[in-house]
Amino acid sequence: MADLGVERADFVAIPVQDLQRADEFYGKTLGLDRNPNSSERWVEYELGNVTLALVSPEAMGPDFRTEGHQMPIGLRVADVAAARAKLEAEGVEFQHETIDSGVCHLARFSDPDGNRLQLHRRYAPYRDGSSP
Amino acid sequence: MEIEQVDFVTVPTRDPERARAFYHETLELPLDPNNEREVTAGQVTLAFWEPESDGIEFSANGGGIALRVPDVAAARAELEAKGVEFAGTEDSGVCHMAFCTDPDGNTVILHRRYAPYG
Repeated sequence: MADLGVERADFVAIPVQDLQRADEFYGKTLGLDRNPNSSERWVEYELGNVTLALVSPEAMGPDFRTEGHQMPIGLRVADVAAARAKLEAEGVEFQHETIDSGVCHLARFSDPDGNRLQLHRRYAPYRDGSSP
Repeated sequence: MEIEQVDFVTVPTRDPERARAFYHETLELPLDPNNEREVTAGQVTLAFWEPESDGIEFSANGGGIALRVPDVAAARAELEAKGVEFAGTEDSGVCHMAFCTDPDGNTVILHRRYAPYG
């Protein structure tokens, strides 16, 4: 049987009810790079290794409903505490104290639609001695 | 604040072993060399998480992760032969997308853009 041939993750879909509000959050609050090919109904943000696609009623039809998904996306930042403080100053609420897993720091928050996100930084080297 | 990249995407599950078998054996994604409990989809790590073990109600992800394959129809046929059910294939005008779910009900999209970028 031929290989299925999955090459990479092309995008991760983020379901949003209010496209404009989400656009502001991902663009202005998180400061991500907006894909210049975005349109009025389909907006994407580029994170270096993967695309986040905002899936909204504009793209899916007026009956599209979402309550926010539970698929936390780990966003790599240089310093979790500093990034958290910056987002808190902009009114973003964090659900817990920052977690130290023993190998990384994690701080959980949500976008305005309730989609879960995490600020993430691994500080421990991997088993082969390399670091992220 | 600078966000550098996506370090991982979490796949919520009620059975991490079943989930790992689906992504590794059925979808043929390699195990992460640094953590065999995770798989890699090219440049992105998929991590499995049991919300219920953290006291959080499980809820499947309907948004979906789009996985690039050379040929959506061929990949869909191959997965259907392995018993994966598909909700349909769409031609968006720029890409083909076939929608299926993993054993927990999370959406997985087989994706191939055929139109050049703007």
